[in-house]
Amino acid sequence: MVVGEFADAVDLLVLGGGPGGYAAAIRAAQLGREVTLVERAGPAGLGGVCLQVGCIPSKALIELADAAQRTRDMRDAGLGSDGVSVSLERFQAWRGELCAGLARGVGRLLSDGGVRIVHGEARFNRADRVAVRTPDDRVVFFEFEHAIVATGSRPVALPGLPFDGERVLDSTAALALTAVPSSLAVVGAGYIGLELGTALAKLGARVTVVEALDRVLPTVDASLTAPVLRRLRALGADVRLRSTAQALDDGALLIAGPEGEDRIAAERVVVAVGRTPNTDALGLAEAGIDVGADGLIAVGEDMRATERIAAVGDVVAGPALAHKATAEAAVAAEALSGRPAAFDARAIPVVIFTDPEIGSVGLTEGQAGDAGLDPVVADFPLAASGRAGTLRARDGFTRIVADAATDRVVGVHIVGPHASELVAGGALAIELMAAPGDVAATIHPHPTLSEGLREAAELLLGRPLHVARARAPGAA
Amino acid sequence: MAALEFRLPDVGEGIATAEIVAWQVAEGDRVREHQDLVEIQTDKATVVIPCPANGVITRLCGTPGDTLDVGTVLAVIEAEGGAVAPGAPGNGARDGAAGADAPRDARAAAAPAPRAGLPLAAPTTRRLARELGVALEDVAGSGPHGRIVREDVERAAAAGAAPVSPAPAAPAPAAPRAAPAAGEVVPLRGVRRTIAHALTRAWLEVPRIIDYREVDATALQRARASLRQRALDRGDEALARALTPTPLVVRAAVLAARDHPYVNASIDLEREEITLHGHYHVGIATSGPDGLTVPVVHDADRRSLAEIALEIAELAQVARERRLRPEQLAGPTITVNNFGSLGTWLGTPIVRPPEVVNLGVGAIRDRVVAVDGAAVVRPTLVLSVAGDHRVLDGDTLGAFVNQVAALLESPVLLFEDLR
Repeated sequence: MVVGEFADAVDLLVLGGGPGGYAAAIRAAQLGREVTLVERAGPAGLGGVCLQVGCIPSKALIELADAAQRTRDMRDAGLGSDGVSVSLERFQAWRGELCAGLARGVGRLLSDGGVRIVHGEARFNRADRVAVRTPDDRVVFFEFEHAIVATGSRPVALPGLPFDGERVLDSTAALALTAVPSSLAVVGAGYIGLELGTALAKLGARVTVVEALDRVLPTVDASLTAPVLRRLRALGADVRLRSTAQALDDGALLIAGPEGEDRIAAERVVVAVGRTPNTDALGLAEAGIDVGADGLIAVGEDMRATERIAAVGDVVAGPALAHKATAEAAVAAEALSGRPAAFDARAIPVVIFTDPEIGSVGLTEGQAGDAGLDPVVADFPLAASGRAGTLRARDGFTRIVADAATDRVVGVHIVGPHASELVAGGALAIELMAAPGDVAATIHPHPTLSEGLREAAELLLGRPLHVARARAPGAA
Repeated sequence: MAALEFRLPDVGEGIATAEIVAWQVAEGDRVREHQDLVEIQTDKATVVIPCPANGVITRLCGTPGDTLDVGTVLAVIEAEGGAVAPGAPGNGARDGAAGADAPRDARAAAAPAPRAGLPLAAPTTRRLARELGVALEDVAGSGPHGRIVREDVERAAAAGAAPVSPAPAAPAPAAPRAAPAAGEVVPLRGVRRTIAHALTRAWLEVPRIIDYREVDATALQRARASLRQRALDRGDEALARALTPTPLVVRAAVLAARDHPYVNASIDLEREEITLHGHYHVGIATSGPDGLTVPVVHDADRRSLAEIALEIAELAQVARERRLRPEQLAGPTITVNNFGSLGTWLGTPIVRPPEVVNLGVGAIRDRVVAVDGAAVVRPTLVLSVAGDHRVLDGDTLGAFVNQVAALLESPVLLFEDLR
């Protein structure tokens, strides 16, 4: 073309329509900005990995698997059932409608806010300009006042086990299965691997989990993971620690472990060994942004990488979690709009939808000690909760970590049913600097699992109702 | 000594039986009250039951795995005395925590780390601090264990922005910020606009002189304390709270102004006239949420000290709530500005025309001063009294300040003519 590159002048450009990008766009629009959002999958891809192939579909699958499992578990409690049948084909149809509906909802929120959505892949070619390649292979240019990078992350492949969408699956392909495999090897016992492995075990697959480290959920405090491992094994899963996946051989996965090499039956293999930020194809150097060896963009407290460009979510440091991205997004939109804003959350909750669930927020006892605090800890066991009994859940606990010097809750760690819901109360206590006495004096409803938090606080205060002493962490 | 049969207590919620999990003591052990005796398990919970008394265990009834009914004998204790040993350990979490703390304390001693961490402030308080440009690390929290509350941040913002002008608390838009966006434009609106225009005019129009005067506040402090105590004795807490130094200064200013009529005056250069007011409407510089306002105590010369104090408190409250009525702002003849409450020890007030005096009061601080040739420590405040040189000269202004200082150093004279 001889006419050169005509650039469309835009005010605030958001790259990515996931929980970071769409939240940034909406907040910026609320602040009066003219927002353009570029999403490589177009309007149908709004919501990003979280909504399309992550949080939401995996919870849908887990919900299905739990319903099937509970039906079996409740037989001796009086539930009559002549066997449960599961159709993943039906499931996929339902899940497709669910996710499409949610994506449409996000699209409505954006268009109501006046946000323009552009379908294409963006790449910086100057500090104030991006080129967007549209699906019909045209390139359009946008010159922006400000930009927010929210392009997310993607699964990492193993060299010996490249994703092929058939035998070797990433989490996205695993969530798209239309039949339960008879045998499944899960490589990587992080939260994605364990959530998928647990769900598929409940749906009837013979599951083997292969983990290179010596424990499951290596990013979580070890004392929280024992109930998860026990349950996984009770569901019939084989957990191979200190083992690495080598290669596929016919119907088997070859692994090397402490007892030498072994062959694991694996009609399918799910590789979930981590995620890598989508920053390599963005032309960030052209925008004056250096990306570290880890692919992460360095940002300040106000999420800005440069005067003009901010970055949020999986492309910056911290846990790759949707709610972190969303919180950072508001900060970025405000900072770029001249508001004094900073990402200064005291605690980012982590939730893992294993069985039992794990909800963890704030400091562990060790972290609190390392931070120079004076930690005191109490665990309230699930076994002492009547409500947990009705749910047939006995293995788990609610733990409070408090700083004795400042008399405040600094960590809440819950293992048990609905821990993902319950941990929000802990986050609130931490942000509001509640004293354990405040939590203990707050009436929690009976009979609920939420009482665990109050009971743990009472334990810390030395006046428990349903147990008589605090347990040292890790003690039985 | 008496044999005490200790029975399995009712552990509540209709529990009728419990299983022995583990004995924490053995027959023949000497035990103390509250010491852990046995761990039992019910349908509801695992419970550690403490010893009911000091003594010696003579019999344990049952072995782990046995199920007992509530009310059956659990243990027999040869009890000694009956008194509870004070300080007997409880069986709560604190004990375990204290035990676990020991090595941690040792580690802390080995590597003394500062009480790490982030300022103790809730999210909205942190946001407010950012908006006001306050570094939370520098704020002493007034809440439990140093928790920083909104009011601490607002105070810090006011103190940090304590200006040398009569604007005691610069409002948010003018306050320095942690990281303002480049080229950010904040429109001048409302109170801020009024302040900006009025003070520009004042600065350009008034040839200002300032008399700085150090005042020994020993007697003033004592007088104020006595007045407060008297108010408290009468149960008048509102008055006790209202008795800040400001009403005393207002009264001193009014009494002195009666003897120096040119300080309570106004000038009109166009008509080439000075008006001696003869009534004493004292403007009180007051920080409000939107900026400086100067509500007025009218006819302060005809009010008792208590009335002045209560009215100033009332005006400050109303100003904070943005409820000042026009008549409460009308017709000041002289202004008093106690920026000492912000921590400022010396200010440079700006005269607000057509008034001709703005009397600034600094913070009362202990200072080393010379008394009879010796260095002694005295509570001291500094008056900075700005005057309009068109009306007042150094000597006329100084004479007024002399009298104000004398009244504050001998506050009994403030009550020379009670009304």
